[in-house]
Parts: sequence; structure tokens; C-alpha cells
Amino acid sequence: MSVEYKKIEHWIPLQKESEEKMLAEFESGNYTVENPLVKTNVYLINPLSAVVCFKTEEETAVTIRVRGKTKAADIVHTFPKAKTHVLPVLGLYANYNNTVEITPYRGNTTTIHIEIGDVCDHSVVEYIQTTPEYFEDNIMFLTPAGSEKSIGVDFAGDIRWHLTALCVFDVKRLRNGNLLIGTDRLIKLPYYMSGLYEMSPVGKIYKEFRVPGGYHHDQFEMPDGNLLCLTEDLTSDTVEDMCILLDRNTGEILKTWDYKKFLTPGEGKGLSYTDEDWFHNNAVWYDANTNSLTFSGRHIDSMVNIDFDSGELNWIIGDPETWPEHMQKYFFKPVGNNFEWQYEQHANLITPNGDVMCFDNHHNSTKVEEKKVPAYNNFSRGVRYKINTKDMTIEQVWQYGKDRGAEFFSPYICNVEYYNEGHYLVHSGGIAYDKDGIPSEALGPFAIQTGGYQQAITVEVVNNTKMYELKTNSNFYRAEKMKLYVEGTNLELGEGKILGSMGVTKEFDTEIPAEACGEMLPEDCNARIEDEMDKFTFFCRFMKGDLAMMLLEQGDEVHRYYIPTTAKPATAMCCGSFLDTDDRNTRTGVNKSGLKGTYDVRVIINDKKYETGIQIEC
Amino acid sequence: MLKEVESTEFNELVGNGLVLVDFFSTTCGPCKMLAFVLNDVEKALGDKVTILKLDFDKNKELVDQYEVKGYPTLILLKDGQEVKRMQGLQQKPAIIKMIEENL
Repeated sequence: MSVEYKKIEHWIPLQKESEEKMLAEFESGNYTVENPLVKTNVYLINPLSAVVCFKTEEETAVTIRVRGKTKAADIVHTFPKAKTHVLPVLGLYANYNNTVEITPYRGNTTTIHIEIGDVCDHSVVEYIQTTPEYFEDNIMFLTPAGSEKSIGVDFAGDIRWHLTALCVFDVKRLRNGNLLIGTDRLIKLPYYMSGLYEMSPVGKIYKEFRVPGGYHHDQFEMPDGNLLCLTEDLTSDTVEDMCILLDRNTGEILKTWDYKKFLTPGEGKGLSYTDEDWFHNNAVWYDANTNSLTFSGRHIDSMVNIDFDSGELNWIIGDPETWPEHMQKYFFKPVGNNFEWQYEQHANLITPNGDVMCFDNHHNSTKVEEKKVPAYNNFSRGVRYKINTKDMTIEQVWQYGKDRGAEFFSPYICNVEYYNEGHYLVHSGGIAYDKDGIPSEALGPFAIQTGGYQQAITVEVVNNTKMYELKTNSNFYRAEKMKLYVEGTNLELGEGKILGSMGVTKEFDTEIPAEACGEMLPEDCNARIEDEMDKFTFFCRFMKGDLAMMLLEQGDEVHRYYIPTTAKPATAMCCGSFLDTDDRNTRTGVNKSGLKGTYDVRVIINDKKYETGIQIEC
Repeated sequence: MLKEVESTEFNELVGNGLVLVDFFSTTCGPCKMLAFVLNDVEKALGDKVTILKLDFDKNKELVDQYEVKGYPTLILLKDGQEVKRMQGLQQKPAIIKMIEENL
């Protein structure tokens, strides 16, 4: 057979099976605190974790201490009292015989050893500058922008958390202690994912929130626990210009904001603008004080605020150049000293007093081609603006990064975090150099392809004093400082839930008059199909410039999916994790929504229609 | 009408009514797909629009004149004046919508 077929199980049933196997073994044995059952990577995607299981005769609280390589690197958590203990162990080292202490309340300590193999690449961390007194037992979570998967780094620069599933974009802590991160299930290139995973840091996925238009870039937990999710209408002609509100319990879409209702595509163009990706929404923030949403639009160099209920435009922070006259009333007038606008910013947020912060990539330093500043003369920074919405003035009240010049310049991705007044994180995650070592505006994955290299620098400042700096030799989308454990059990047993629905994949309505040749797809296409419960992906190599289309046929019913074989230049690539180094290789995703029954998969190349021998059940 | 032309014939036809120009390349997959789409557009709209196809590589002067940066590029002209431009492969409904908005 010329086309390989592989069934891909969803993580949730796989994790259920693994958890049930562990619990069955636990129930069948006599496991005590002195002799616990120890299982590593029970949830299959966090190899730096384990679960220990044992019973005590009395209800008792239990403290787990993962011994660090130094005393300061210990990670300690006390679990609520119980008789049956199923306890996640977090923060294990790779390539190390870990020592873990288990201590019941007022009881004796049992020491166990958990050997973990070489499961992650430590060489990604170039250096870290901080102290254990400052950073304590926090972990800096870094999420992928390219080939590296998510990692968590402690104060010493050691990796203490790692996801082997390629979950992308931001990881955020929910108020219940769980993590919210993009799934690892790509529905459309370059980075539109099936939705969001709510998971425990041990890797257990409690819920997948599937989103019809796919998830990208950012998410936000509302005060009532519901979730804002950035998305788009994948059947429309534009991308990255929608936000939805998801019901936390059911995954149902409660509200949708289409940015074309309060902005006109083509107005306020930045230099990375395209007709399709006219806004490029990379962040969302809800401000309860003003009941408003703020969206960061990279390709209009602006942060846009709307009323949560009415969806009406309130204001825009950005350089007003290139915006038409009728929009000028939404812009602010700079006051004070040393003011500079942000360009192609990311990760906007509203501080408790109403100031607006973002990572100002400052890419191009302008909206006008003739004034463009090259990467080697540019800078990126974290910036904080004070705005007055009555007289529409704006003042720059803080920045970090400009003085570092090009070595801190990232043309894409990155974030800032507000911890307290004067206490901020600034993550320049998309630094690139060309093959000659000159700062480049190539977006990370493309810098590598042309012989260059990447870096990311994460900084924390307290009252303008740098307290932390982490440098990696890869790009990372965002950095988030969190503790591994939160108060409570940190692990709920039972099967996770797959919520929401996938959208119908956009089809091509024009028929190609190709001859059914009856032949199998040529071997050199290196074709394969990965089939999942709610979607499948067709991988195939074509010659550049081939006319290619995948067909799903069931009697007279035909569904057509055009396959682009000519690489388009990208002006944005915030997550290059799914890019193939050989641009002849294509990847075509089809959701099973809207399809029913058994379909033959056939492929048109130029004027011939080939068989794959594969049938897809929908 | 849908036909491939070169500069002389293009200049004769371009000033009259609604003309959709397709700058294409013979080496480009999306251009090949767009050719089938434009056949369908022509069937749907008949005489309402003239569709002229220009080979990107053989008509450099027109490529420069119309500041075409890549292919495929569709430019809709009304009495010789550009009224709309689309870059990349488009589906039939989007092209028909663009034309009908400018009839």
C-alpha cells in the first residue's frame, strides 16, 4: 500500500486507560506509606512526573518533598488528609535518580527513589541569573514557538516540568489550580488548534474545549470561570479576527465577537498586514472595572478596546498614522516625556489601576515602509501606558528593554506580566540572528531554515532592578511564572471530557476535470493519513507547482479539499511548531463535522485522479 | 469571454467595460486551480465580464505597470481603471461577489 494509515487515539481515553491500570494495581496490592506504588508519567505527556499511591489506616495529611539538587531546589507540597492517597509527584529531574520523601502528618518519613531517563533537552537553557531567595520554588513555564516543547525551569536553570505533547501558545493557571493551554491537535496550518486543554500540571487532561473555528494565541478566564478564546471563522476569507466566550462546564459558545463589526479591514494597515490576516489577534484581556475587552492586533499595530456587552469600540492605542480621519476620535494624544508608540505588540493586559501594558515588539518601528527600522538598529520592550479616556491622552509611565537594543529585539511573539506595582515580567521570546550573527527580523523558524539561530530572554524586574534573567537557545512563545503545586489535591481521578464541537472544514467548490487513472498514489508522495475521532490529516509530498486536491467520495457525494503546493511568504508565524522543513510536504486537515458514513480518499495531481486505498469513517 | 492574451490584445480589450485580469504562472499550483475557477465564473456571468489571462513571466511590462507582486493576482478593471484586486487563489463565490459589486 502506498499510503500509510495510522489511527491516533485522543489523550483522554488513553489517560483513562493508564489511570485505571494504575488504580487496579493499587487496589490489588497492599500499598502503605512505607511501601507505596510508584508510577511515572501516568498521564503519558509529562515525563517529569509520577504518582504515588498508598493507604493509611487513619485519615492523614501527607507531605511530598521532591529533593532538589540543592536544598533550595526542593519542591514540597502537603496534600489534604485522606485514607487513600493518590498523589502527583511534580518537579522530577530528567536523567537523574530522584529522591522523594513522603511524610504523613506527625509520622515517619519514607524515602523513595524515582529514576527518570533522558526525557528532555537541558541544553536549551543557556544561562539563568537569579537567586533562590527571589525565585523560591517558582517555575518559569515556557511554551513552544518552534520545535521545542513546553518546559518549566527552576531558579537554578534545571528543567522540572515538561510536556511531550505539542501543546502550543499560552499556558495559564486557572483559579482552581489547573492549567489552560492550547491542544496539540492541529486542524489547519500554520497553527490553528482544535481548542484548549484544561489539565493538571501532572499532565492529566480534564477537559478539551473544542472550538469550531480553532484556537490560536490566547485565552482568558473570566471572573465567573467561563473562558475567552481567540478563534476565527475558518470558512471565511479572513483569519484571527474573532473571540468567543465558552461555557466552562459545557463548552458551549455563549458569545461571539467578530472584529469586522467594529473595525474595517484595510484601515490602519501595519507593515505585516495581509488581506487574509488583517488584524492578527494575539491577545485578549477582560477588564472587570470597565466591563471591556482589549484585543491586541499585530497587523494594525494597535490595542483595541470594546464594550463587553455591546461590542462597541471604545478606544484604540496605537500610532494613528495610516488610519482614516473618521477613526481618529478613537485614538489617544501622547503627553509627557519619552513617549513612543508600540508596533506589532503582543500580550496586552490591563493593570488593576487601569493602565495598559504590552510587549512592544516594535517591529519596523513604523507603519510606513519608507520609515522602516532594520532589526539590527531596533529594540523591543515591555511598556506601560497610563490612559485618560475622558480627554483621550496617553502617557508612557514605564518601559524595560529599549536600552538593551537589538539583543532584546523580537519581531514576533513574547509577553509581559504584571505581578504588582513595579514588579513585572518581560519575555522577549522571538530573538533571531542571521547566519552571520546579525540581529534579524526573520521569524524564528525561518531564521533557522536560512542558517541563523534563535534565542529567548526572560526578565523580571522589581522597581527597575533586574531580579531574574533566563536565556534559552530557542524561541519560546510566552513565559509564565507559576508554582508546580497549588493548595489541594492537584489530581482528580476519572475520565476527562471532550466538550464543544469541531467546525465543518472549508471545501473547494470547483471541480477539477481529472481522469480516474485507477492507480495508487505514487510512492514518492510519501503519503500518510492520521485518523482521529473527530478529524483526520492527510500528509503528502508534491512537486512545487503541482495542482493537487484531496477528494472524499461516497457514491455521488464528493467533498473537495484544495492542497496548496506553492509556499506563501509568511508575515506572521507565531507558532512554527508544525512547519515542515521540506516545503514540498503538505498537511491537509479535515474535520469530520458535516460528514457522515464511509468515504474513499482519492487525490488529484494535475490531470490524474489517484487511489489511496484508504477509507475514512465519519 | 475568457482568453489568454498578450500585451497588444490586452491593451485593445482592457478599456471596455468590466475586465478581470488574471496574472498567472504556468509553474504555480494555485494558478492552475484558479484557471478552473475562472472557467466556472465565466459560465456563471457570461458577457457581464471579460476575463483576460496574462502570463506573469511573459508580460513583464504589464506586471510592472500594474505593480503585481506575485501570482496569482486578480485585478478588476472598469473602463480601464482598477477597482479591486485579489491576491492568491480565490473561490468562485468571492470572485463573483467582487464582480457583481462593480457591475
